[in-house]
Amino acid sequence: MVFKKYFIPRFIQYLTVLFIGITLVFIIPRLLPSDPVEHQLNRMTAQGQYLDPAAVEEMRETLQELYGLKGGLLEQYLIYWKRLFTGNLGPSFTQFPTPVIQLIKISLPWTAGLLLVSLLLSWLIGTVLGGIKVSFPNSIVAKIIEFFAMGIRPIPYYIMALVLLILFAFVFPVFPMTGGYSMGAEIGFNLKFILDLLRHAFLPIMSMVVLEIGGWFIQMRNVASNVIEEDYVVYAEALGLPKIKIIFRYIMRNAIIPQITGLALNLGFIFGGALITEIVFSYPGIGTLLYSAILAGDYNLIMGVNIFSIVGVSTAMLIIDLIYPLLDPRVRYQ
Amino acid sequence: MSMIDVKELKAYYTTEKYGRIYRVRAVDGVSFQVHKNEIYGIAGESGCGKSTLLKAISGLIKPPLEILEGEVIYNFDDQSLNILSLQEDKQRRKVRGIRLSHIPQGSMSVLNPVRRIRKSFQDLIDAHLKLENRTHLNDMNMVKKHLDALGLEWNVMHSFPHQLSGGMRQRITIALATILKPDIIFADEPTTALDVVVQRGVVQLIKKIKKEQQNTLIMVTHDLAIHANLCDRLAIMYAGKIVEEADVNLLFNQPKHPYTQMLLDSLPKLGDKSTRTSAPGTPPSLINVPPGCRFHPRCPEATERCRREIPELVEVEKGHRVACFLEEGSK
Ligand SMILES: Nc1ncnc2c1ncn2[C@@H]1O[C@H](COP(=O)(O)OP(=O)(O)O)[C@@H](O)[C@H]1O
Ligand SMILES: [Mg+2]
Repeated sequence: MVFKKYFIPRFIQYLTVLFIGITLVFIIPRLLPSDPVEHQLNRMTAQGQYLDPAAVEEMRETLQELYGLKGGLLEQYLIYWKRLFTGNLGPSFTQFPTPVIQLIKISLPWTAGLLLVSLLLSWLIGTVLGGIKVSFPNSIVAKIIEFFAMGIRPIPYYIMALVLLILFAFVFPVFPMTGGYSMGAEIGFNLKFILDLLRHAFLPIMSMVVLEIGGWFIQMRNVASNVIEEDYVVYAEALGLPKIKIIFRYIMRNAIIPQITGLALNLGFIFGGALITEIVFSYPGIGTLLYSAILAGDYNLIMGVNIFSIVGVSTAMLIIDLIYPLLDPRVRYQ
Repeated sequence: MSMIDVKELKAYYTTEKYGRIYRVRAVDGVSFQVHKNEIYGIAGESGCGKSTLLKAISGLIKPPLEILEGEVIYNFDDQSLNILSLQEDKQRRKVRGIRLSHIPQGSMSVLNPVRRIRKSFQDLIDAHLKLENRTHLNDMNMVKKHLDALGLEWNVMHSFPHQLSGGMRQRITIALATILKPDIIFADEPTTALDVVVQRGVVQLIKKIKKEQQNTLIMVTHDLAIHANLCDRLAIMYAGKIVEEADVNLLFNQPKHPYTQMLLDSLPKLGDKSTRTSAPGTPPSLINVPPGCRFHPRCPEATERCRREIPELVEVEKGHRVACFLEEGSK
């Protein structure tokens, strides 16, 4: 019953959003004035190669086919979907003929790992600190937490990242300056390599965590300080329930709901890349991949990365909607 | 001996805005006694400090509410307790919910929206009864018995608050507030925002519990009809002070304070077709209270003295206290 009334409509909505998003990804590059095929042909001739017209024509056709630009729009669109379902996003333009999907496959784990860990860490720390601040508003600890959370938050991200890098990789060289792992390290699932990975990931993750804690802290603090004023919390006090129980079962349990929504929503963004982090720490990932794709006009690659983002964000939204009834009984059975 | 003895209680809300301190003098020198087993009513226009008075006497004090002066003594059978001198928050918690209980306003959502009703009962029992020789089954049997006695269905225990109607939620809340057989029950506008039929049911329910458990009940509402129907004695509050207090019948038949008379005049009477006048004017701000008698700007009989001096609440006849110079003069 609930399944039919709640899950199925929601799932249909999810598919619709995906369909529209992915269709937009198909349409937008085709509205641009530049034609990637001509672009590439021009580049080849510009390099001074002599190509006879027949060869150029042949090459144009091959390229059009590779880019999915052959035939009428409808035909292209159908081929586009067919390719998507077979996991084929076409070849990259700049790194011809490597398939786009392979480039994304190489970069995605770095990005997802980096963003997932920093998201979870900052969420957890920010939420707990926000909870402490509201539960013991006048304690010294709460005041110190608030001071730092509010003080650090306005620092621009790139400055924070550079300061960390200079401090802990240059002045006190505790952590490596660049890369995802040491040059020449043996890649494999062993302790040595994992430790090497963690050492390289530490500064990039910290740079994000330190700043993001503030945001989660403030949201938790604001929501929880509203919950404290709710009738059911005031009444729990009037009935003399123990403070600890009121904090966890009455205040936090209700304040955590928007916090979890925020977390799930942000999980959707972990496929989008973290460009500045990747640049400052020379860390591999989707951000740099997308950036260079945009600079070079590598349409297939841009489209591929966008499709991943669209799927990521809309799946995250779907998950929020599916778990929400578990968190908040008021949206159950509606 | 009286069950509750409130002496010269002053409870203000102190807030600071742009460096200026504002004091809302919500309870300003209130003294009264409540006898064991009686139903003591407190009436007055909204904003006159009734809820604040209840908060202060049950020790629910947190900023911006402050107690400036006064004592609140409870004389339970086995002990006497000055609740305001219990500095320790933990000690006050031990009293609330089991010795003193609260029935909240009908419109409030006092049940945790993410917790099943059963859990709210369990939370209260866990908070106040010692764990030894207690089992979950026994606890739930106790709840079941209580619900039976009040004519409520056990089934609702498995619901979430939002699944119940407003009237049902209020009955369940009353059951919750009284499950531990408190010595004293404070009811703050328990029928406000409920429809008339439900109101009746709620009043009946409170009466029933009171009769069975023999508790002392303090009933706060602006609805004089409920007071007439339920209370033994009644106090009328105006702008943070009690202006008159007497046996309910006496007070309804021979109101002495002009404010009380004004309130009673605004009530409809059977067979009287003339239009009712509502009390003219508005209650004063409790931040800038008028000097002298607080009622003088609205009082038809105010004299020069009323504008300067504050009348004391004095006994003008046995069991009838009034704070008005007119009464003092006539004595
Ligand atoms: N938290 C608060 N901070 C400041 N003033 C308050 C607060 N709560 C109530 N007041 C003020 O105290 C006065 C008495 O309020 P209250 O006790 O709720 O009145 P009643 O219950 O009789 O309607 C009102 O003027 C109200 O505005
Ligand atoms: Mg009130």
